[in-house]
Amino acid sequence: MNSIRDKVAVIGVGCTKFGDLYDSTYEDQVCDAAFQAYADAKIDPSEIDAAYIGTYLPHSQGGKAGISLADPLRMYDRPVTRVENFCATGTDAFRNACLAIASGQHDIVLVVGSEKLKDRPGRGIPRIGHQILAKGNTAPGLFALAANRYMHEYGVGRSTLAKVAVKNHWNGARNKLSHLRMEVTEEQVLNAPMIAWPFGLFDCCPTTDGGAAAIVCRADIAKRFRDDYALVKGAALAVATGRPYFDPTFDYVGFRSTQAAAKKAYEQAGIQASDVDLAEVHDCFTWTEITNIEDLGFAEKGQGWKMVEEGRTRVDGDMPINPSGGLKSFGHPIGASGVRMIYECVQQLRGNCGERQVKDPEIALAHNVGGPGAVSCVVVLGRQDS
Amino acid sequence: MAETTYKKPVPRIDEETRGYWEACRRHELVLQRCGKCRTLRYYPRAVCPECLSDEVRWERMRGRGTVYTFTVTYQNQAPGFRDELPYVLAYVTLDEGPQMLTNVVGCKPDEVEIGMPVEVTFEDVSDEIAIPRFKPVAS
Ligand SMILES: [Zn+2]
Repeated sequence: MNSIRDKVAVIGVGCTKFGDLYDSTYEDQVCDAAFQAYADAKIDPSEIDAAYIGTYLPHSQGGKAGISLADPLRMYDRPVTRVENFCATGTDAFRNACLAIASGQHDIVLVVGSEKLKDRPGRGIPRIGHQILAKGNTAPGLFALAANRYMHEYGVGRSTLAKVAVKNHWNGARNKLSHLRMEVTEEQVLNAPMIAWPFGLFDCCPTTDGGAAAIVCRADIAKRFRDDYALVKGAALAVATGRPYFDPTFDYVGFRSTQAAAKKAYEQAGIQASDVDLAEVHDCFTWTEITNIEDLGFAEKGQGWKMVEEGRTRVDGDMPINPSGGLKSFGHPIGASGVRMIYECVQQLRGNCGERQVKDPEIALAHNVGGPGAVSCVVVLGRQDS
Repeated sequence: MAETTYKKPVPRIDEETRGYWEACRRHELVLQRCGKCRTLRYYPRAVCPECLSDEVRWERMRGRGTVYTFTVTYQNQAPGFRDELPYVLAYVTLDEGPQMLTNVVGCKPDEVEIGMPVEVTFEDVSDEIAIPRFKPVAS
C-alpha cells in the first residue's frame, strides 16, 4: 500500500480565540478561522478545490452538513463534506482532506472545525443511552472509571493527575487564544469541587466555543505558497468498540484505538514514537493525557505518570505534551479541537510560539480520542526539511 | 407502584431483553448463554457475539461479584440522577465472568473500594421493571 507520507503539505492555518463566544455565531467562527488560513497561505479562496467541515454537535446556527461551510464562505459548485466522528471529528476531517489530496482528486483543500457548545440548551449532554447499560454515566464518569482503575493498578494518586492540569494551564496562560488563560496550583486543583471521582473541576477540560482551519495542498506545489510549509507524514484513524462489553479483554487502563492509530501513523511516517518532538494530545481529563502518553508509545503502559512527575512533559522537557495548553486550558470545542491541534503543531514547527516554543522541533503529533476509547485519530506532521 | 415518583428513564422491554427483565421482576439476575458455543454474555442480545448463533439459554447468576472499578458522580443534571448525587457508577465483575456497568448502593460512596465483594439487589420501579444494582456483601 502507498503511504501518505510527504504527499500533502499544510500551507496555511487559522484559529479563533477559544472561549465563551456568546458574541459570535457558528458561521462567524467558520469565517474567522478560514480567512486567517487564507491570509496565512496567501491564497485566493477561489483556488480551493474542496472542503471538509468538522462539527460534532450541530447548533441551530449550523454544523449539520457541507452547507454550514459553503454558505458562510460562499464556496459553491465544489464538494464540501461534513465529518463527525466523536471527539476525533477535527483530526478526522483533516485526515479526509489529506486523503483527497493524496488520491490525486484535488490539489488544494480547506479543513475547518467549528463548534458552539455554549449558548445552547442541554449543556452537559444528557446521556440516556442503552436501555440496560445506562446507569447515570456522564462523560467525566466514563473516563473516571478508567482513571480509577489505572490509579489502583499503578499506585498513582490524584496529585499526579493535578500536575497535568498545572502544566497545561502554565502553557495555556502563555497562549493568547486559549480559553482558561490562567495558571493554577496543585493545591487549587486538588481542592476544587468534585465532578466524578477522581476528577475534580480542574481535572476536566472546559466547555468551549471555537473554530480552527487548515489548508492542505499537493506537496509538489506547496512552494508556490510558502517555504516553511509542513509535510503530512502520517494520518491514521482507528475505531474500537464503543461498548467495552463487546471486548472482554478491555482492561480500562488504556485505549486500543489510540494504540492502533499511532502504530499505523508511525508506519506511514517511517518513524518511531521516540522521533516525535512534541505532541498535542487529547487531554479531555487529566488522566486521559497520562494514558495517551502510553498509548502513543512515549512510555510503557503504567509508566507515563512518571514522565509527568519528572517534568519531562513540560515545554522544556524531553517530551513536551500539549505546549498549547491542551484541551484543559485551550478549551475543547469538539469538532474544532483536532484542527486547532494541527494549528498548534504547524506554529511550533515554524518556531512561532514564543515562551512556550519547543526547542527546534522537526516532528509534531496531533491526537484525538473519543468514545471513550471508541475512536482515535493520529496525525504526524514534519517540518518541510524533515 | 413507584412509577409516578421514579424520575429516571424506565427501560422498555423488547424481544431481545424480555427474559432479562422478567427475571429481574422476580429479583433474579439472568444472563444469556449461547446454546452453540456456550459463551456467557452480557448485555442481552439476539445473537452470540462469538459465533452469531441465535440459540439462547437464560442462565441464573449467583448475583455475586467484585468491584473492578468505580467512580463517584457528583455532577449530573439529568432528572432523577440529580436527586441522588453523589452516586456510585461501577463496573462489577460477576463471579461467573462477565462485567456489568452498574451502580453500587447500600453504603456510603466513600466506602466503595476496588476489589470489594458485592451482591445484586433490585429496585422495583414499576409493575414490570425492577433494576438490578449491587450492594456490599453483608459480612
Ligand atoms: Zn456462540
